[in-house]
Amino acid sequence: MPDFKKILSIFNFSKSIQEFLKYCVFFFTPVVMTYCFLEVLALQIPITFKVVGDYLESNSTKIELVALGSSQVKCSFNPALSHVPAINMASSSQHHKEDYLILKGVIDKLPKLKYILFEVSYMHLELPYHSQNYWKNNIYLNYYGINTFERQTYFKDKLIYLSHPRYFSSKIKDYYFDENKKNGEQLNEFGFDINKYYGSFHKLKYDTAQIKNKYFKIYTHENPDIFKKNTAFLFKMLDHMKEKKLKVIISTIPLYKTYLNKRNPNIVRRRDSVLSEILKKYKNVTILDKETDTLQFTAKDFLNENHLNPDGAKKFTALVNRKLDSLH
Amino acid sequence: MLFNSFSFGLFLPITLLLYWAVGFKRIKAQNLILLAASYFFYGLWDWRFLFLIVASSLVDYFAALAIKGSESFSRKKIFLYSSIIWNLGVLFLFKYYNFFIDEFALLFNMQQGEYAFSTLNLILPVGLSFYTFQTMSYTIDVYKNRVTPTNNLLNFLCFVGFFPQLVAGPIEKASDLLPQFSKKRSFDIDQVKEGLRQILWGLFKKMVIADNAAYVVNMVYASPEDYGSFSLLYASILFFFQIYGDFSGYSDIAIGTAKLFGFKLSKNFNVPYLAKSVTEFWQRWHITLTRWFTDYVYFPIIQKNLRSNTRRNIAVYLTMGLIGLWHGADWTFVIFGLFQGFLIVLERTPLTKDRKSSLFHKSSKLSFLLPLFFVLIASLSSVLFRSQNIDDAWVVVQRILSFIPSTQISQLINKYFLIFTALMLTSEILTRRKDFPLSQLEKHIRRPLRWIIYYIFIFIIFQYAGFQEDFIYFQF
Repeated sequence: MPDFKKILSIFNFSKSIQEFLKYCVFFFTPVVMTYCFLEVLALQIPITFKVVGDYLESNSTKIELVALGSSQVKCSFNPALSHVPAINMASSSQHHKEDYLILKGVIDKLPKLKYILFEVSYMHLELPYHSQNYWKNNIYLNYYGINTFERQTYFKDKLIYLSHPRYFSSKIKDYYFDENKKNGEQLNEFGFDINKYYGSFHKLKYDTAQIKNKYFKIYTHENPDIFKKNTAFLFKMLDHMKEKKLKVIISTIPLYKTYLNKRNPNIVRRRDSVLSEILKKYKNVTILDKETDTLQFTAKDFLNENHLNPDGAKKFTALVNRKLDSLH
Repeated sequence: MLFNSFSFGLFLPITLLLYWAVGFKRIKAQNLILLAASYFFYGLWDWRFLFLIVASSLVDYFAALAIKGSESFSRKKIFLYSSIIWNLGVLFLFKYYNFFIDEFALLFNMQQGEYAFSTLNLILPVGLSFYTFQTMSYTIDVYKNRVTPTNNLLNFLCFVGFFPQLVAGPIEKASDLLPQFSKKRSFDIDQVKEGLRQILWGLFKKMVIADNAAYVVNMVYASPEDYGSFSLLYASILFFFQIYGDFSGYSDIAIGTAKLFGFKLSKNFNVPYLAKSVTEFWQRWHITLTRWFTDYVYFPIIQKNLRSNTRRNIAVYLTMGLIGLWHGADWTFVIFGLFQGFLIVLERTPLTKDRKSSLFHKSSKLSFLLPLFFVLIASLSSVLFRSQNIDDAWVVVQRILSFIPSTQISQLINKYFLIFTALMLTSEILTRRKDFPLSQLEKHIRRPLRWIIYYIFIFIIFQYAGFQEDFIYFQF
């Protein structure tokens, strides 16, 4: 046993410092213990990322398609209905930067990977990327084993609860203490929520008259500088996919009529010009443009103005399947 | 390394243990540890800029000694000007060069390549404006015989690079901070506890108030065209509290951290939202910066003719314009400063011969409303501070004044944020004579209850902190 007294004796701590150290130990021990407890609790919860991560690990030799993108793709593509073995790694607010880093992280783990499905939605090219401190970087590292920090990782990057205490506290509360949580998520083995109906449209009972007058958040501010940066990044991403001989489906996700009407036409025009440029430049890319498809997608297919519910996802996945069939 | 980061949570106790372990009698060893820790702290951002800090420190250290050693007045002046040219030159190169080149080109309607000077691809070193002003004031004070220059290079390097205040102040005067590096520092447990409490309070303001306000402000200012008048006004008021929580929170953490090492730093904020005039506001907001500009810009201009109102007004405009420009190389900051200057001149101008009839005089019957009025003014002028450029600021101001309905305001309001902001405001107002609300708690409350209060604050910080945002003042 090491002699701690002897080790400490090399330091010249006065009595008041020793008293202070004792004070700190007494004070901080409960804080550290509580934190450890919360961390363990958080790690046990089968959140979407955990289910997707587990699926990735156990099916890595089969997966042929990876879906990437924001919550719009997350809600729109159900891998259970896909014609090819697929995984949906999209998540809310996930931008092209994360998409690219995730792709780079999984590409070597998936020997059969052939297809990439990702989105270039209405605002995608004019919204700034997340910083290096983005909380989901911890999530990707823990559940997918992918480093999206763009730097060496440290112990703190592995801490899940600390990455977003409010989010995980609410998850802990729901999972451990609220058994009767109404309208809770029901994830299938792919991590897709098959019970995700209870959005604002459901609240309004899909009444189109009420939906028409409902407020929703939409960005209309133009960001030409960000547009340039994001477009350059998108091309870099597509170059990488081309180099890896992947077939790419770029999709635009269905939007509800009220959302479509409020879009800034300049942003739409710029985005569309990028999509046509991509089609000319990349032979491995095909576009699934469903943003303005108001015929197939009606109010009952939507969770809210810009997200599909599982019924809408069923239709959208079928359209992806058709595209996939044409690529075979 | 951010004060509210995991890395700082490791760095601080390790540095502190090493610092006190060498014993309070070994000042040199303690200063060496402080210097190494400070350079490590700064080097984590970008180690290349450590050379700049060392170079600035050496220039001013030797300039001050040369000023002292020179007998002729003209030689002293040469050394003073050399130091000032170096400091302002570095500041200009890294912070203002591109701005001036762009404006020059715009003025003469020139395209890139048509003029001899092109813009540079330089990163602004963190804290440059803070430590440059600190070292510059040292040489000026030595020149004016207000301070005796130090012969101890280690102490001087510590004075410039002291990590708690290196990147965002408080901007210390050499006469206040420098002597502390040559004095024995004893471990005072009460002082250390006081420091920890101030850090806790600072973290609360930064992580709970500022970072949560930032979420709403960033969202609204990212797309101001999508929001109505009241939403924009709300976001602008929130930005005032964001910047206050951010910067005063940083200052509290800096002052608290310095206390752990036995140092005393200057107070930087004094409940600015209680100000009853713009002048008073600037005496309560970023106090050390206002003091710097008052001592080294305002007074030197007016001292030649104290009675001249015109000179005083010019001095106000110049000082406030420079304070604006200090914050950043953009017209929004300059206009922000000049607007503040205009308000100060306005409040100094009597409406009639009776001086008490001044628009904002404290004896007015409605004087109790003045703090609210000045928070509103500060919030509206913060539109300039927050907007990316003049055009964006104009969009916000226009929309606020157009009374556009704000149907979405409820989506911007977070009840917890409002509760915590109210907690901050009432605590600070009720304890305004103290340095910070949790100060000297042991005098009034017994340990069990005291610890419960600390645990509640730790819980609030953990649970309700917003997403980590950089400290706003780092960019200055």
